[in-house]
Amino acid sequence: MPELYLRLLDRVLTPILFVVAIFLFLRGHNAPGGGFIAGLVAAAAFQLQILSQGDEAVRARVGQHLQPLAGIGLLCAAGAALLGLINGTFFQSVWIFAELGALHIEQGTPVLFDLGVFLVVVSVMTSFLLGLSKRDEEPFDD
Amino acid sequence: MLSFSPLLLSILALIAVSPLIWSVRPHRFRHFGWIAAIPPAVITAWLLTQIGAVSEGRHVTAVYGWIPQFGLELAFLLDGLALLFGLVIAGIGTAVALYTGYYFEDNPRQGYFYSLLYLFMASMLGIVWSDNLLTLFVFWEGTSITSYLLIAFNDEDPNAVAGGRRAFLVTAAGGLAMLFGMIILGENAGTYNISGILTAPDLAASPAFSTAIVLILLGAFTKSAQFPFHFWLPGAMSAPTPASAYLHSATMVKAGVYLLARMHPALNESPVWFWSLLIIGGATMLLGAISAIRYFDIKALLAYATVSQLGILVFLLAFDSEYAYIGVAVGILAHALYKGPLFLIAGIIDHATGTRDLRRLSGLLSSMPAVGVTALLSLLSMAGIPPLFGFIAKETLLETFFHFAEHGGGLLGWIVLAAAAVAGAFFVGYSFTLLWEVFLRKEPSAQDPAHVHHAPSFSFVLGPAALVMLGTLAPFALPWVDKSLLAPAASSIGGRVVEAHLKLWHGFTPVLMTSLAAIAVGALIFVLRDRLRAILSRAPKNLNGIYVFDKTIYSIYDLAGLSTRLVQGGTLASQASVVLLAAVAALSYALLRTDWARDLPIDWTNSASAAEVILATLAVVAAIVTVRARTRLNAIVSIGVVGLTVTVFFVFFSAPDLALTQLLVDILTVVLLVLVFYRIPPATLPPIRFRTRLRNLAVSIGAGALGFFLVLFTIGEPFSPRIADYFMLNSAPLAHGANIVNVILVDFRGFDTLGEITVLAIAAVGGYALLRSVRLYVRPSHLDSDQKPAKKE
Repeated sequence: MPELYLRLLDRVLTPILFVVAIFLFLRGHNAPGGGFIAGLVAAAAFQLQILSQGDEAVRARVGQHLQPLAGIGLLCAAGAALLGLINGTFFQSVWIFAELGALHIEQGTPVLFDLGVFLVVVSVMTSFLLGLSKRDEEPFDD
Repeated sequence: MLSFSPLLLSILALIAVSPLIWSVRPHRFRHFGWIAAIPPAVITAWLLTQIGAVSEGRHVTAVYGWIPQFGLELAFLLDGLALLFGLVIAGIGTAVALYTGYYFEDNPRQGYFYSLLYLFMASMLGIVWSDNLLTLFVFWEGTSITSYLLIAFNDEDPNAVAGGRRAFLVTAAGGLAMLFGMIILGENAGTYNISGILTAPDLAASPAFSTAIVLILLGAFTKSAQFPFHFWLPGAMSAPTPASAYLHSATMVKAGVYLLARMHPALNESPVWFWSLLIIGGATMLLGAISAIRYFDIKALLAYATVSQLGILVFLLAFDSEYAYIGVAVGILAHALYKGPLFLIAGIIDHATGTRDLRRLSGLLSSMPAVGVTALLSLLSMAGIPPLFGFIAKETLLETFFHFAEHGGGLLGWIVLAAAAVAGAFFVGYSFTLLWEVFLRKEPSAQDPAHVHHAPSFSFVLGPAALVMLGTLAPFALPWVDKSLLAPAASSIGGRVVEAHLKLWHGFTPVLMTSLAAIAVGALIFVLRDRLRAILSRAPKNLNGIYVFDKTIYSIYDLAGLSTRLVQGGTLASQASVVLLAAVAALSYALLRTDWARDLPIDWTNSASAAEVILATLAVVAAIVTVRARTRLNAIVSIGVVGLTVTVFFVFFSAPDLALTQLLVDILTVVLLVLVFYRIPPATLPPIRFRTRLRNLAVSIGAGALGFFLVLFTIGEPFSPRIADYFMLNSAPLAHGANIVNVILVDFRGFDTLGEITVLAIAAVGGYALLRSVRLYVRPSHLDSDQKPAKKE
């Protein structure tokens, strides 16, 4: 069983890390951050969970979703590129602007594309982390 | 703004329906086939409404910009040839979709099959409607992939998987050759637009024209199962029968023929074209026709018959006459209308009796009359008996060669005519054989006769029966079929307007006499069939494409194994040394050729700040500590320090995004390393031999020097400020983002990123497979028989 402080850290830090990931993702277009970095932060959150709860628990919870998630990410990215056809060509960005009271909304296909990057990075990093932290029955040969 | 042409819409709709149909789990519904047939039926109906316009020369076109800066576009064109093929694809697709529901009744994988079928249909329509070589290539590969998945549909059957892999490797290799050919053509013509290439002046005089033809022929020949690549098609018969009928008889294998027909006006004047098509097509025609009779499995027999038919079509395309154009058009339609149903019937027989073995079957005409009549009509059509559609196809074929022989062909012409007649006679021979052995005779030849224990329902037989009815009625509406379908298609093949001239009855011409003689010889073949089977089954076993192909593929595996042992044997350190030394060797050649004084204008006056010096020292010290560490944990921690100092460097040079990324990657790496090494005993590192240390030192110095000089050259290169300025200026107005790094990643250079994340995802799948240590291949037993037993390791 992992040490107490790790489990405590997990309780406190994991939600924060996920929020930070979302924050980094959302601000990415205008300030340091973005899908790639946010993906790494989210992967770090999973890493913390693996350390504190053991890989089996995490694998049972998210393992089977990882490969589909990478696929969805690629579809998001490719879909964002294809949506460009609306404006005439492949990969041409499409933006939507709206004013909702004080709220200024500016969303476009690059954000969808970035979401794709985020999903692929989370999925790939987490599956590597899970794969490498797997406990084998037989010890390694040295 | 985007306007959807029905051409693009059909393809997109099929792609969109594909996952949907999988997710509704259609095997739960008894009559799902009727619903699944709707999308192709709608496309067929739309195509039928276009017949009038297209036959008058008003083609449907649709062009969408893809990357207009490079002249890349999605271009579709519906002319006579595209319409004929479109109708065959969508029409037979309708019948096959209906049939599939009953073929896979209650099978939970029905939905998966449908989803592949629709994807295939979309790709196939894409091939024949594309007016751009590159678009055509993408769809072409789409059919290769769906075909692979369909052949290997029964993925627990090693034969099916091996057959699928063979088919895929052969067609994909041919496809790559074709791509190179297309690029040569496109660059020479200055456009990748097919209509543009067909009308490009002086294309034949352009450089590497013959090379381009040969490469394109390779693509077409592999796809259309021409000798010596024909072996993949019989191997593809492990696919479920609806797929065999649809892909490996009616449509996909004709993609090669389609490509040849499409490019015919541009390429046919080259002697390379004429002789390749004549020899390869002719050889395939005869080989397929003669081999077919030897097989007792109905599907195998039909597969070889299909190979022969494809040979005939390629053979015809060698000739540049109106007879040949019409012959190809009528051959495609007639073959689709009799061979497709025959495959479907083979599936029904399998379903009803549990076997496809000719020796065990008999008298099915009386036990399944509807199936029997359908089969009777299609077999007579295959034999070319008047007044069926197959007869007209054969007449046109023979007419082409008569015309060729009488107008300048000379001796070659008569040889060609004789070869076609021989193939025709074999067609008659095995049509009669199937008809007699499966449907008419009272007693089977084998001991354990098969019985009908699962009579097919009406809807199951409806698909093939409807196709056969069309084929039977077509000759009676011949003027209309000719004028509205065949002549427009022939015009596309010829590149000039071809008038309709087909007739059912020409009088007692030499062509009819030859045709009757072929039927007579065919009857003789039928009578002597058992003797022929005995002779043909004595052919040497290793004299076939499958053996040669597998031998080649597994020698590649062996070679890969050998190189792995040579390069990647031993410890991680020695493997890394090989990689690093290779990089050093490759790049030091470039370094040796540089003019140091000119390429390295180092500004010695630009001194480093105190902070930079401290950081650099820290990085170097941490690196030395890593190397000298006694325990793994120490090494991991100090390598983490190296990473962190680099992060701080990025901060100094105001690259916050890079710094963040580096920081996160560094953290994750350290934790990962701890995770992995934590469980490897012992905790202290074993001592390294002196010789190994020397080698490591040499490699490290080499790699370090390489990195040093690379960076030096990179900064020595005068950096174009225009790029940076462009991004700075345009990031906010064009891409609505203030973070230039992110804007470059997701917008300006988004295509690169798409490639990178694709590679990342593929790497994850590969890593997953490696971590599960899947055995990648099992050597087939038939290759081991002629070798010494493997050495024990």
